[in-house]
Amino acid sequence: MHIFKPALVLVFLIGISACKKKDSNTYEVVDTSSYGDNLNKDKSKSNIEFHSILSTNLFQKPSSINELSRTDRVMQSCGDKSLINEVIISNYMNSANVKLPSRKMMTDSTERFIEETFIRFFIRRPTEAEKTWFTNFINANKSNPNFRPELVYTAFAASDEYMFY
Amino acid sequence: MKRREFVIKSATLAAGGMVLPYILPSGRLFARTNAPKADHVVFVMFGGGLRQQDSILQRYLADSQGYNVEGNILYNMLEGAAPASKIAYGITPSGQPNGSQPIPKILSQSLQKQGTIFQEMRAISGGHYGGWNSLITGSRVEGQGLKVRPMNPTIFEYARRFGGYKATDVWFIGNTISNSIPLLNSSKHPDFGLQYGANFFAPGITFGGDGYAALSNAKIYHPQEELEPVYKMKNFLDNTFNIKKGDMPGIRNTDDEKTQIKEFIANTFQRQSSGLLPMPPVSGGDGSTIGYAAEVLRVFKPKLLVVNLSNIDGCHSNFTGYLQAMHRADHAMGFLWNYIQTQIPEMSGKTIMTFVPECGRNLQHNPIQDENDWYGYDHGDSNSLRVFGGMVGQNVPSNLLVGNETNPVGKVTDMALTIADILGFKDEVKAAGLVDFESMSLFDRI
Repeated sequence: MHIFKPALVLVFLIGISACKKKDSNTYEVVDTSSYGDNLNKDKSKSNIEFHSILSTNLFQKPSSINELSRTDRVMQSCGDKSLINEVIISNYMNSANVKLPSRKMMTDSTERFIEETFIRFFIRRPTEAEKTWFTNFINANKSNPNFRPELVYTAFAASDEYMFY
Repeated sequence: MKRREFVIKSATLAAGGMVLPYILPSGRLFARTNAPKADHVVFVMFGGGLRQQDSILQRYLADSQGYNVEGNILYNMLEGAAPASKIAYGITPSGQPNGSQPIPKILSQSLQKQGTIFQEMRAISGGHYGGWNSLITGSRVEGQGLKVRPMNPTIFEYARRFGGYKATDVWFIGNTISNSIPLLNSSKHPDFGLQYGANFFAPGITFGGDGYAALSNAKIYHPQEELEPVYKMKNFLDNTFNIKKGDMPGIRNTDDEKTQIKEFIANTFQRQSSGLLPMPPVSGGDGSTIGYAAEVLRVFKPKLLVVNLSNIDGCHSNFTGYLQAMHRADHAMGFLWNYIQTQIPEMSGKTIMTFVPECGRNLQHNPIQDENDWYGYDHGDSNSLRVFGGMVGQNVPSNLLVGNETNPVGKVTDMALTIADILGFKDEVKAAGLVDFESMSLFDRI
């Protein structure tokens, strides 16, 4: 009888711990795209990578290899890469084929414009601080008729972050 | 006042009185360590490998091709009669033999008459990149790799750090983007680097066909209405990204300097199409590089401009072309000095121009013959370490020859200290301890 009692207790314990009701929960998660942040962008784009990506962003089509090689040589011929990028960007902006959002879209749907611009150029969403700063900046410049999406795109394309991946 | 309090206050005031005068408007902590000799320096790396026998020794074909014809083909730089026969160093008029017409002299007085020539200097390296590095850094370039920025600070970085100059005060004009020339505007030294680097153009590319296609149609934005918001947004984005110093892909100009350079690029294309750029009468190749350097001088009046020439290096396979390139480079030098003196009042009489090649050429020829059956010369032997140099301008002794074949005076590594001496920060460069320990300012060699 003394031997039988512990065995019975053991069987009882195994029984209550093994038998568990299976929960079947459903979480209503919305599908969403995942974007990184700017913390890990520590590799500098080569001249050719930079302009290949830039022309795709601005014209929605890639440049020819001849054009990329030519632009690479021009970039090498100038000591201030940031400056020469700005000149090349403004050269692109003079093209009739550049694809830009309208000024109305920028001012009427500012939040969407900011988000899309960050994703287009930086492959990430803006932080709340960035969103707030740009919203305020665009609103503050609404009365300036020269302030248009082209200038915002120029600033993004000429930024340090755009030179890294 | 107690004695102790009085002593402390007096000591504090005395210390402050000693330090404060040295905090200069440029942000420099210390005043220049020597009095500047001139306000501007133009340094021509008269290069590509200049053989001592054919240049300063004026032996023309006598020491190279076995013809007993001597003479001076660098008559803007040096005194001496031109060769009397076998004229092949000039330009080629239509229907005439190649190089048969010498280019007329530009300067009424040669640079030798106006300044000081070091007839026999020593190069550090028989190769181009080592030579350029030694000229630009003043160091012995041991361990310097190809296709990487100089290990030791360049004279541009010394000038910006110790002279307190902004980026548009310091320029490097290269004749090409090949041979790592674009890397010479700054070193990778951790205490200096791109933050103190020079503005750089390779005009043959920047303002040639490639540059025309990529840059000439650029919009000129309104500085306040358009550029200001662009820079505000860019600066905000850059601050949130916070690029590390070592990751900078190029030098940095301020927003105002950028606007100035953008205008320069746009105006240069316009002046180019109108034929208004200041080019030497006989241009092309190195001559064009000098012309664009003159345009940078005209617009920016920089404190320091270094320009590199290298058409002379065709000597590997074309001795006739080498003679012509040497003669044209002399012509371009004469033009540049004349242009500074007559067309840029802000620099006239306040500038010193220095010149020296990065290396010489071999004593013995190689087996390659050109159209005249003249042999080519490579570089790399001990004769390649024989070079000459000089300087001209404010505070430079005139009509002075220093050293000779049996008594070499000066090294190519002297150039960094010479420029630092001219602009007034020689002791700081020396104190940095990164130049050749045997180097001296050429002024101290006289």
